[in-house]
Amino acid sequence: MFGYILKKIRYSALKRKNMSHDTATDKNYNEPLLPDLEKNLDVIKSILRDSSDVTVHEFNFGHDRRYKGALVFIDNMVDKEEIHKNILKPLMYDVLLLKKDVDMDFTKIDIIRKNLISVMDSQKVTLLADLLDSLLTGTTILLVDGSKEALAVNLRKWEARSIEEPGTEAVVRGPREGFNENANVSIALIRRKIKDPDLCIEKLKIGMRTKTDVYIVYLKSVANPKLIEEIRNRIGRIKIDAILESGYIEQFIEDAPYSIFPTVSNSEKPDKVVAKILEGRAAIVVDGTPFVLIVPMLFIESFQSGEDYYARPFLASIMRIIRFLSFIISTLGPAFYVALTVFHQELIPTQLLISIAAGRERVPFPAILEAGLMLFTFDVLREAGVRLPKPVGQTIGIVGALVLGQASVEAGLISPIMVIVVSSTAIASFAVPAQTDSGTILRYIYLGLAGIAGGFGVIMGLLATLLHLSSLRSFGVPYLWPVVPFNLSGIKDVFIRMPVWTMQKRPSVIIWDNIDSIRQSPGLMPSPYKEDKDDSK
Amino acid sequence: MKKKMNILIKKSVLCFLMLFMLSGCLGGREINDLEIVIGMGVDKDENTENILVTAQIVKVGEIEKTSGSSGGGPENKAFWNVSHTGNSIFEAVRQITHKTGNRLFVSHNQAVIFGKDIALEDVQKYIDFFLRAHEMRPTALILIAENRASDVMDAKPETEILPAMNIAKLVKAYGFTSHFYKVNVKDFASCIMSATSAPIAPIVGISKDNGSKDIYVSGMAVFKNAKMVGELNQLETRGLLWVLGEVKSGVILVPSPNRQGNAVLEILKTRSKVTPEINNGKIVMNIKIKMESSLSEQTTTENLATIPAFEEIQKALEEIIRQEIMTAFDKSRELNADIFGFGEILHKKYNNVWKTIKDDWDEVYPTIKLNIEVEARIQKTDLLKKPATSNKKGK
Repeated sequence: MFGYILKKIRYSALKRKNMSHDTATDKNYNEPLLPDLEKNLDVIKSILRDSSDVTVHEFNFGHDRRYKGALVFIDNMVDKEEIHKNILKPLMYDVLLLKKDVDMDFTKIDIIRKNLISVMDSQKVTLLADLLDSLLTGTTILLVDGSKEALAVNLRKWEARSIEEPGTEAVVRGPREGFNENANVSIALIRRKIKDPDLCIEKLKIGMRTKTDVYIVYLKSVANPKLIEEIRNRIGRIKIDAILESGYIEQFIEDAPYSIFPTVSNSEKPDKVVAKILEGRAAIVVDGTPFVLIVPMLFIESFQSGEDYYARPFLASIMRIIRFLSFIISTLGPAFYVALTVFHQELIPTQLLISIAAGRERVPFPAILEAGLMLFTFDVLREAGVRLPKPVGQTIGIVGALVLGQASVEAGLISPIMVIVVSSTAIASFAVPAQTDSGTILRYIYLGLAGIAGGFGVIMGLLATLLHLSSLRSFGVPYLWPVVPFNLSGIKDVFIRMPVWTMQKRPSVIIWDNIDSIRQSPGLMPSPYKEDKDDSK
Repeated sequence: MKKKMNILIKKSVLCFLMLFMLSGCLGGREINDLEIVIGMGVDKDENTENILVTAQIVKVGEIEKTSGSSGGGPENKAFWNVSHTGNSIFEAVRQITHKTGNRLFVSHNQAVIFGKDIALEDVQKYIDFFLRAHEMRPTALILIAENRASDVMDAKPETEILPAMNIAKLVKAYGFTSHFYKVNVKDFASCIMSATSAPIAPIVGISKDNGSKDIYVSGMAVFKNAKMVGELNQLETRGLLWVLGEVKSGVILVPSPNRQGNAVLEILKTRSKVTPEINNGKIVMNIKIKMESSLSEQTTTENLATIPAFEEIQKALEEIIRQEIMTAFDKSRELNADIFGFGEILHKKYNNVWKTIKDDWDEVYPTIKLNIEVEARIQKTDLLKKPATSNKKGK
């Protein structure tokens, strides 16, 4: 059944691919520019269909104004002031400062670029396709009559968000800057933290229509070259018209598209991304989104937070354990409650059983339905709360609390203990943000299993989950490393976070047999100053 | 290749689903449909020879009210004693559903109370159900009613809401005095199954002082061949517990050296070791008791916190403990019931000898000699170093 649907989808996708292939060839403007300015402008205008934001400015320049030129750019994507100062003014006025007898042929773009234009970032373009590409990314195009070449001058400027604290990963201690939508800024933030010539930034352009810049960032001497090759291949085979967010890339390159567990992690925080790059991972920065992808991903990364490493190890370890417990509570809480109250009442302490029974006396639904309803209501509230504007969101919170908590209990629809179970589940589910998606799905699956077969069903579900988890791989790395397969050096950073000075090696599973696996010299444990014994002798 | 994989996946999914059918716990029951039984009483029906089973069921709705508003009406009982007669316990239990409408849920049964008539007849016949039923817990306490079990279950306690819970709490608190002992169904049954050991069980009665009905534990019933043959009083029970090493705490009064008052000692820690010995065919049980105590009260002005006083008290203490053990042993000899489990101890060490004597254990048991060694120590005097009297009198 499922396979049949998939086949249908694949077939129609193939059909569409063939169609889009045809249209794509139509738009290959692989023709050279003509030496005639008028004709060039006509071609550009006809291709852009006289879009209102495309500005064409024609002018004459040179000593006796005998050269004809034109500037083509897109409004609001360029700095007009700079264009005026650095392109128009030199061409029209500063040229007059040159002696008249200096023989310069201003139909040659190279001569203009070297002698007149005072902008560093400029490129010669000869093909129409290149010209359009640069024009649409916000570059100013200088066309000169009589030249087969055009000059693309980079004077981009548009409104952008400043560097702000990311909303999804707030910290108490640690850097507060976050990536933003401009990939260049994001790359700069990474570069600013790693001042190492080994830091490689590879640029790719994905998306037939959006032509989004995608960067692969890694440390050459640390990252496994096979990993980088694999990333290049996987990203390279993406043929899609638009990349609007890094999620698009993620879904095309992940290892297990049918798994509920993510095999590509993401972050908005430069410090986190840099830490992972230093462990031998690669970051994929996509223009237009602050979310940077990081591969390969281990399951344990979901439970680690950047703050774990900034705080001292004791509290960090406790928080780590609390996060594990929260994940267990958030996935198993309602299932456990249903299994106990419906199937294994003998396991509940007598006093508790009596008070649960007292609370449930007037409840007309079976426990599984009760739990399902409550979880559903909670998920609706959460979804509504995220989408709504902030002032309304608060109202939803109050209504939700009253509806969920008090009214339904007083009306006898829900038992008070169920409210406690579901609300603690809800709170616990936010402690592990990276696994919220999988946690939500697992919660419903386990609840269903508990309703069908009680504790037995929950255990079967857990076993299936464990089997699935241990079969997952992310870019060749076992998902459950360092627990399965076991690695003593890696386990230092799993259930508890050992002091930083004990973590001498980078995770071996990510860097493989790379020589540069040591990240600090041994014996760095701090201790008070001691006179050398040899000295005292 | 891909098709093969698909078939494999389908097969494994099918296997996984089939596992659910194998499970025996598909029958879920909502908590609302349960009648939670917290105590069961077994009596002989007064008129016929049938059994009268009484089940104490929690009325969960009333629990909420009584715990919510402290001044709940006295007529609103949070429990419901429902009983029915039958030829067997299981039959009667199923007959009770005629009155409840729901199946009884006995996993949380706290106490099984046998009426005295049942205890005098033969407990073995009636305990089978409590061991065999899969919902039953072997940790449920076993108790003998002084009279009828149903009366004991009716007495409404003052602080607890549920009588059966109250009884279980009382019995479990034996450690404060060590005057009685808690016995659960499993212990009781294993004693019955032994060839020589005699099971014991606490007796609960109703004291009717000042008009109020209070439940209390009056002593221990001694069984022989699953029939009740006699009772142990509180001190005899402690004598027994000394040997079993089950004295948790308790109070011992020792006359002070100048005989003007008592030193009241709290038992802190005890240890016992029983080693059997056969000398020329005579069985001697070497019992070594070590105990630590604290001086918790004194009813004399004399300062007892001195080394000579301590030594004297310790000596008296040892003698008292020895006496307690001897009275218990004398009683057991009188009843000819091996409550100490000496038979099993002998079995473990002298297997060959035991084989020859096990058939006439009843004759052998009264001839056993005890060799009791007690080492009693006073560890501390709690907060006072000397009694709160004026110095003049003491010196």
